[in-house]
Order: sequence, then C-alpha cells, then structure tokens
Amino acid sequence: MKTFADPVRNYLSAVERESSALTADRRQELLADLAEHIEVTRTERPDAAIGEILTELGDPRTIAATALAEAGNGTPGTQAGGDADVPARRGKVHPLVPLLMLTLSLPFTMIFSIGPDAAFDPGAVFGFLFRVTGAVLLCTSVHWTAVQKTTGVLLAVVVPTTVIVTWNVISGWAAGEMQALLGNLGSLALMVGTAVWLWRTRRA
Amino acid sequence: MEPGDAAKQARAAAQLRKGVLEYCVLALMRDSPRYGVELLHALEESGALATSQGTVYPLLSRLRRDDLVTTTWRESDSGPPRRYYALTDGGRAALDEFTRLWPGFRDAVDAFLTTPHTSNGDLA
Repeated sequence: MKTFADPVRNYLSAVERESSALTADRRQELLADLAEHIEVTRTERPDAAIGEILTELGDPRTIAATALAEAGNGTPGTQAGGDADVPARRGKVHPLVPLLMLTLSLPFTMIFSIGPDAAFDPGAVFGFLFRVTGAVLLCTSVHWTAVQKTTGVLLAVVVPTTVIVTWNVISGWAAGEMQALLGNLGSLALMVGTAVWLWRTRRA
Repeated sequence: MEPGDAAKQARAAAQLRKGVLEYCVLALMRDSPRYGVELLHALEESGALATSQGTVYPLLSRLRRDDLVTTTWRESDSGPPRRYYALTDGGRAALDEFTRLWPGFRDAVDAFLTTPHTSNGDLA
C-alpha cells in the first residue's frame, strides 16, 4: 500500500496546482472527492494498478478546467424552463443609477466648483466623471433601445455640456452670478426632463 | 482518417455530452441514491457518455450547490464511507422537465439529419 501513496499524492497535488484559481473550499471539496474516488476504486478493484485508476480519472488539467467552468456558472439556470439567455452582467445595473449620475453631475459641479482659476477644480472634475460614467452606464444598459440611448445622451450630456462650455468661452468666465445660475438651472431642467422621460420609457 | 477528423469527431461528441450529461447523472439517481464511483461506472458502460471520470466530480459539486442533489455519507462493508447522491425535489423537477423536452428535441435533430435537402436544384 505504501508504494501507492506517492503517485496518488503527486496526482492530487497536480490537481491542486492546476486549480489554484478556484476558491479554497471548492478546491478542497474537489480534492476530497477525488481522494474518495481513488480509495473506493482501490477497494472495489484491488487488482487494478494505481496508475490505471489515475489514468481513468483523467488529466489533472482537464479536471481543474472543468471545475473552473462549473464554478463560473453557479446560477440556477438549470431549473425548469430557465433559458440560458442571461443578459450580460454589465447591463444589469439598476436603471436609476445612470439617470441619477447624469442628473446629479451638474449640481455636483455647481456645489463643489471653486472656479476656473484653481489648478484642480473638484467640482468640474468629479462632475465630468459622473457624467461620463452615467453616459457609459446608460449606453450599456439593457433597459433602453439604441434610439432612446442616443437621444438620452444627446439631451442630458452633449447639449448641456456644449451650451455650458460655449457660454463660458464666449463670456470669458465673466458672466454675472445670476446669468450663470440661470444657465445652470436651464441645463439642469433639461437633464431632469430627459432623465424622467428615460425612466418612464425604460424596459423592465 | 486524418488526425484532424478524429479531433473534430471528439469535439462533436464532447459538445453533445456537455448538454445532456447532468440530466443523465440526475436520471441515474431517480430510483435510489448512488455514490460517485457507481455513477461513473454507469456512465462508462453507456459508451457515448463515457468521459474523463474526474470531470464528473465538479459537475456533481455544482448540482449540489444548485440544490438539485443532496449528499449523505454511508458506511460501507468494505473500504471507506461513501458519499451518496440523491435527487432533491428541485432535481426531480429539472429531470422531469428535461424528460418532457427531450423527445421533441431528439426528433427535431433527427428530422434535420435525415430530411433530404432540395438546395441542389431538385425542384427544377
């Protein structure tokens, strides 16, 4: 018996090596299953060579690859009637997320902005990031059609941004507080309106 | 036969197996709980479903995680205790559903494979 131990141990450590991408408990479970299989087979077929048993069990790399593949689709898609047409994970963000990011980017900019003269203007930078992320989430979402997405990005991102930038360039950042506030409120109204429209027309 | 042909045939068999293997494993437990080596024996004897034995354990592990099977340890007269696999209600439902779908699926494939095609101008 003792001479059997080494090939088995080598085999199991090969499986362990190849399955390093599995979580620790999955890997331990797999190793336990295989160890049990080898022991049971050895009892049931005492004449079989250990090499034969291991060959039948298969290539450690193949087993590890199968385990990784099985670990990847842990969803209960095997249930009755369930189809495998699960939408891509990235599209499953809640529809409120892109809408809020787009709408809130402007108030965010207004509140945290410390003016164009600063080397780093947190309001402008984070407002911009919010807007870009919101637009990307909107475009990758499963809740809207391509036409709705294009309209949404145009109305909630492109138009307000263009208006604000143009306004700033023309006025040379010298517009009065009141005018700037009015301009911002106008853009905000457009964004909110667009977000409300997108929310109402979304697909479940 | 060229080696490429053998590889292609192996791939076709592997693809087919991938889709039906778990239901065949569930079917093996329909009447009574079975332990791993026993399940592998049955698959081996079927010929078409024989696969690298070790790859069945990750499948069994997933069936357990998906609550389609449960496992219990049982002592044996000879050798170590064995882990027995049994269907849960969910596993039985999945098996019934597959059993219901399979004849239609099989007949549809047969129809594609046996119906003569008329794309060579047979209608002319």
